[in-house]
Order: sequence, then structure tokens, then C-alpha cells
Amino acid sequence: MTLTLHHAPDFASTIVRFALEELELPHTLAIVDIDGGALASPEYRRVNPVGLIPALETDDGPMFETGAILLWLVDRTGRLGPGPQDPGRGAFLSWLFFTSNALHQAALAMFYPHRPAGEANSAAAQAAAQEQIVARLGLIEAMLAAQSPRWLSPDHPGVLGYYIGVLVRWLIMLPPAPYGIRLADFPYLQAVLAAHEARPAALRVAASDGLGPTPFTNPGS
Amino acid sequence: MYTLHYAPDNASLIIRLVLDGAGIPYRTALVDRAARQHHSPAYRALNPTGLIPTLETPAGPISETGAILLWLSDTHHLGPAPADPDRPVFLKWLFFLSNTAHADLRQIFYPHQYAPADGHAAHLEIMSTRMLRHFALLEAAALQHPKLFAAGRPLGVYTIVLTRWSALYPETAPRWLDLSDFPVLEELARAQEARVETPVVARAEGLGAHPFTRPEQPNPPEGSVL
Repeated sequence: MTLTLHHAPDFASTIVRFALEELELPHTLAIVDIDGGALASPEYRRVNPVGLIPALETDDGPMFETGAILLWLVDRTGRLGPGPQDPGRGAFLSWLFFTSNALHQAALAMFYPHRPAGEANSAAAQAAAQEQIVARLGLIEAMLAAQSPRWLSPDHPGVLGYYIGVLVRWLIMLPPAPYGIRLADFPYLQAVLAAHEARPAALRVAASDGLGPTPFTNPGS
Repeated sequence: MYTLHYAPDNASLIIRLVLDGAGIPYRTALVDRAARQHHSPAYRALNPTGLIPTLETPAGPISETGAILLWLSDTHHLGPAPADPDRPVFLKWLFFLSNTAHADLRQIFYPHQYAPADGHAAHLEIMSTRMLRHFALLEAAALQHPKLFAAGRPLGVYTIVLTRWSALYPETAPRWLDLSDFPVLEELARAQEARVETPVVARAEGLGAHPFTRPEQPNPPEGSVL
């Protein structure tokens, strides 16, 4: 399997990088010059017509969408998440899509608050995003407390742990005061992310991308 | 047997059309939104997000439209299997539909969750422009992958139901989607309407005679859209 990840450090492609390293899948990194406008280039749009990062080129053609790439890796390797025959598959898919279309989207609204309704409404958009982010992390926390699923666990690495780990990293670091989150408010999630960031594969990515020693639980340290 | 928790003309419509399109038996359970049943403890126990749909299966409840479509697709072979060379195409457009097109369209339905009242006009202008870009990408993808975006199939149904709602909402604003600007999607709307299950589902949910080529406001015989 020949894989090329279009990557910029600490962008969403980092989530895919954690999964590739954990799976020990050989891959090439193609560094994307985001500030130089590379995402808008015709060459990049042929790989990903949406013009966002990440994209993963595979033997079966180019892929985009973080969640889609993670799921494809799970299904191709049989690791880091339940496969189609696994009884946990339905719940795993539910929370993977929730992370993608609810938690990740709310995080983007926090980081780019002018997007929903223009600069004039940025403050309101950011306040709304903050409320959604806390509520959505709360749903994940309650699910972990009630179900202790194998696919988002301190005892088993998984794509969803890395996905939520990178989102939490950004949600701790990036929002302007008074916004942002305290991971200690979500102790079950904190335990899952602490276990993920301590794995050898995670340490390799953190070192290479310059994310610090505890990129999920104490970013910026 | 599956149980689909639904409300008329909600995202459960996407699941219903795919289930009926494939001849998969299921029961429906109406979620009465007017009575705020989707916020009841019983519904939250099935789906803590309180969103519709939820599909109850022998392996437990599944929520999120995209997750249900993917689970049904893998269980009933409605799309490319994990090792199929078309799998990347299927997955990337399914996630795009879920987290970009559907997520942005929800913002148009519920502007008060995203902008103050005096910002709603600006919000609609920005979001409808974004939606039209998404439909242009989906038009190109459907042209390139007609089997994956066929009527009755997960990507085809998901796409065409989003065009229906785009033509209807917001009720108070001028229409911002003209499906004839997207000939591949317009043909998909005709093909979906020509399928036998469409008028059956349309009657059950009060969607009118032409739910995709000439959408009109729903008038459900039971339950509430909002």
C-alpha cells in the first residue's frame, strides 16, 4: 500500500498522522504550504476538490475528510476501531460521525467565528460555539462514564482517541479568553487522551510536528 | 427487525428512503417533536444527542444519519465493501455530506443557534453561498460516480433530500437553490421520484406529489416537522 499524506503540522492532517504512525504504515508526507496558498492550487484541488487539509493518496485514489480517512484505515487494517462485523461498530460509527459533524464543526466555528455570519457577528458566533463545545464534550464524557467502550479507551489505542485528542488540544490552546475548555472537567476523557499521548507512536508524531510532550492533556507545555 | 425513530421530513427521511429502496423491513416509531419527545429521558437513553434519526438494531441503537447509512450499507451491501477500490470515494463523500453539507444546512434551519436576530440575513447569505458551492462539488462527484450517487442508494438519497430542504428553507426568504443549475442532481431528483418507494414514503410523511423536483412545505398526517 503506497500512501501519501498531504500534511501541515498541527492541522487536521496531524490526526491522520497519529493513526498512520500507530499502525506503523509506511507513508510519505507531502508538506502543504498553506500560507503560500497551496490549498487553492489546481494540483491540490485535483487531489481534494474541497480544498481542505488533510488528503491521503492511496492505491485506490485520493481520499479527503479526516473521519473518512480514519475509518478507511480501520477497515483496511482491522485495527484502532471495530470492523463491520463487530457488535460495537454501530456505536463507534455514531460517535465518529458526531465527532466529525458536531464537535469538529463547533471547534471550527470557535476558531473561525466570522464564517457563519460575518465579522459583525463573530462575538455571538464564538459564544454559541463555546456552549456547543462544552455540551458536546459533556455527551462524550457521559458516554465514556456509562459505557467504557473499547474503541475510546485508556487501554486500547483507537482512531477516535487521536481525533478527539487533537480537537481537545486546539480547544485548550486556541480560543481567546474567556472561552476554551478545562480538560479536568471531563475526567474520563482526560484519562483516554493521557493514555493516547503517552504511546510511542504518539510521542514520535509529537516530536516531529513540534507538539510538545503532552499534546492532548497539557498542550503548550 | 429494525426500528426507525422518525419525525416527518426530518433526517430520518433519508434513512427511510434507503431502507425502503433496498426492501429492508423495519418498524417506524414516531418521535413527536411538538411534544418535545426527542428531549424525553426515553429517547435520550437511545440517543443522547436528542437528534433524529435513531435506528434500533439487534446490535444496539445507532445515531447520526451518516453512521446509520454506513452501517446499513456494510450490513446489507448497499455500497462498496471495505476492500473495494470505490470505498475511498464512498467514504469521503459520505463524510462531506454529513459534516459539511448537512451541517451547514442545519445552520440555515436554526439560525438563532449561530447568529443574533439582526445577523440572520448576513448568515443566510453566507451559508446559502456555501451550500451552492457544496452542491457544485456534489454535482461533479455524481457525474463522475453515477453508480454511487444513484437514486435509492445512500449517497444519492442523502444528496437529493438535502436539495429538497434547500429549496424549502428558510420559509420566509426568497428561494436560493434552483435545481436546474445542477443538471445531474436534477436528473437524480427525477430518478428518485420515479422509484416505487418514493410516493409511499411521501404520503406517509406528507411531502406532496413531487417531493424532489417540485418541493412544497410538508403537511404530515401524523407528527410534527419541528
